[in-house]
Amino acid sequence: MVLRWASLFRIQQLSFSESRHPLTLRKCGQEPQQALQRQLCSSLRNGPQQDLACSRDKDRPETPSQELRDKLKLLNGGTPWSCAHEETVRSLMDLGFTEDQVIQLCEGTSSQMPPLSTQGLATLSTLTTLGLNPSSILRILEKCPELSRINGNQLQQRINSLRKLGLLEGSLQRVVAHCPHILTLTPKRLGTSVRFLREECQFTGQQVTEILRSAPATLLEEKRQLQNKFQYAYFRMGIQHTDMVKSGLFRVPLEEIRSRHVFLERLGVYETPDKKGQTRIINPKLKDFLGTSQDFLTKVARASLDEFEVFRKLLAREQDEEKEGQEEEDSDSEEDEAEMGYESEESEQTEYTRRKK
Amino acid sequence: MAALVDTRCVFLKFKVFPHLIPRRFRVKKKWAATLPRITSTKLALQNFDVNYGTQFGERWPSIRVSLLSEQKYGALINNFSSAEELIKGLELQGARDFVYEAQARTWSPGSVSGKPLGDEKLEWSSSLAAGQSGNEVPLSSQVGEGVEMAAATEPPSLSPNIKCFTFPKGDITAFSPARLDGSGLLGYYLLDAASVLPVLALDVQPGHTVLDLCAAPGGKTLAIIQTQACWRLAANDSSVSRTGRLRRILQSYIPREHSTEDRVRITSFDGRRWGELESNTFDRVLVDVPCTTDRHSLLEEENNIFTRSRSKERQTLPLLQSQLLLAGIKAALPGGVVLYSTCTLSQLQNEYVVERAVQAAQEELGVTVHIEDLSPLTQLFRDTFHFAQGMRLGELVLPHLTSNFGPTYFCKLRRIN
Repeated sequence: MVLRWASLFRIQQLSFSESRHPLTLRKCGQEPQQALQRQLCSSLRNGPQQDLACSRDKDRPETPSQELRDKLKLLNGGTPWSCAHEETVRSLMDLGFTEDQVIQLCEGTSSQMPPLSTQGLATLSTLTTLGLNPSSILRILEKCPELSRINGNQLQQRINSLRKLGLLEGSLQRVVAHCPHILTLTPKRLGTSVRFLREECQFTGQQVTEILRSAPATLLEEKRQLQNKFQYAYFRMGIQHTDMVKSGLFRVPLEEIRSRHVFLERLGVYETPDKKGQTRIINPKLKDFLGTSQDFLTKVARASLDEFEVFRKLLAREQDEEKEGQEEEDSDSEEDEAEMGYESEESEQTEYTRRKK
Repeated sequence: MAALVDTRCVFLKFKVFPHLIPRRFRVKKKWAATLPRITSTKLALQNFDVNYGTQFGERWPSIRVSLLSEQKYGALINNFSSAEELIKGLELQGARDFVYEAQARTWSPGSVSGKPLGDEKLEWSSSLAAGQSGNEVPLSSQVGEGVEMAAATEPPSLSPNIKCFTFPKGDITAFSPARLDGSGLLGYYLLDAASVLPVLALDVQPGHTVLDLCAAPGGKTLAIIQTQACWRLAANDSSVSRTGRLRRILQSYIPREHSTEDRVRITSFDGRRWGELESNTFDRVLVDVPCTTDRHSLLEEENNIFTRSRSKERQTLPLLQSQLLLAGIKAALPGGVVLYSTCTLSQLQNEYVVERAVQAAQEELGVTVHIEDLSPLTQLFRDTFHFAQGMRLGELVLPHLTSNFGPTYFCKLRRIN
């Protein structure tokens, strides 16, 4: 309680020391947030209200209704620094939240989403600045409660780094709304993933942005997983970078890609291009076979669902046996026998491994 | 032994015009060790894509993916070991005896014990009942249909006492390896369940003399012995090493008293000579010829018939197969049954060989051979196997992902005179 008041007081001081000009929206990301903070915490309102990036319903009452007050009084007993404080409630409503949403925020809807804290308030304001409407923000917080625990400044920094990667306004909002966990990544971690895509996988900057836009969850994956997926697609399937990006390869998990690809390969419908990039048959487009399973089965594979299901199980078993076989080999350190089986069924890793049949 | 070569000549491959270098010093790319060889499995696959692509058309991709994936096994029960416990164990796992199940469907639906309809079926069904003691198998829900089928076509006459367990369609559980029982015999033999079909079609009846012309490695021979119906069995294979393997298998499964020299005779002669050796002797002859073994050729490098060094052998296979079949026909008694089977999909090795042999028997020996219709059998087992439709001659089990048995071709011939 004391802490909160102290921080609020400090921010109030800031606002008084600043110019007394009305709030204006500036280009730089930092300013609107500070301005919003001031608005949130001070009960003084200098000058006319300017339109902020968030949409506000001017017709809604700015003072909370009696009903709301009663409900919040019930919560008062719970947490010591409960947000059942008039100030906070009013600020939330200024941001555009309806009464129900305010209650949701204060209670914490599920076990995953705890009641709102100070930092949570800062997160809310940042997200509002970004241009997201209140219902989306609520959804985001439900999906990813960790967000409310992040420092407001850090959050802004991360949003900035995403902007630098080329995510423009419309896409940025969509990405954050779709995959809020991306904001839980530290800039360093984000940088590592992006560097991996650029340097090791040799994607261009534009392609990286496109991947980010269509499959933001890629950045959350561990490097090893990402590497496996890329290597499988590039070496084993022979797909080029442009196709990978256009078809949304990174949206699909590796297991699914592998089972569909090996199924098509064994059917004789797909052939890995040889060294010169030629194939004897015309391969189906990646876009087509990474689509819905219905499309995949009827149009590309032309097989029944039963067959594909059984095939998946068989392939999973083959993979397990291969792994066991490789582990045994490593532990025995026997001399490798010549490679058995035909070439297209080789191990997917780029290091040329020979396996004993 | 290194030839004494002027070192300047060795380096001549760089910079100098090729036609100025003696041929023996030029770099010969085709023998360079670093270039990848095309493996024989890949050659086999290319060959099949061309041949079977045209033969099967739209159905080929489905067969192709099954051939390239892990095959499904069946467990042939060893009647000479203590089968009770074993059978219960297998049933707990979910496996079912497909032979019994299929036949149970042709019996009258009302009785649980499965009383047969009509007198003509008494012979084989009673021996079946004798072999299946204590086996509680629920009658399938398709019994109604089965009864109609029985009314329409007579159920086929099959070799008795054969029990083979498989997992249902779509189930890929694997059988664990067989274990030794108290008497030192293995409980079951794992094989491709489609290999049991030719033995069932052979219709070995009690007291018959049977010849197995290309017996190794021994799965079908073992099945014949399991019928406990043949009075004398002659098992032959042209390769001595493979005959040794056959002997070992029989040792592990059959007690000594049942595999004495007078009951089971194992030889290593060339099968084509049987016409002269023992003509007009056998009631039943099984001719399971060497073929391109499609499944093996696609997955195993070792002993692959598609290696370039064996291409002559591969091309003369159909001739060898017709000769073996002809010898089998000669060895059979008039009225006897000769069963031709292969494990390939190729028409050249299947229908073509049968036609040639039948023709040769007529022209050269004056022996008439009739080809019997096996559609009752395929109808009986259509729930376990995937049979090819519209076969002109004989029956073909196609591999399918849900029932990955085969490929097996079999054709039943009866010698008339």
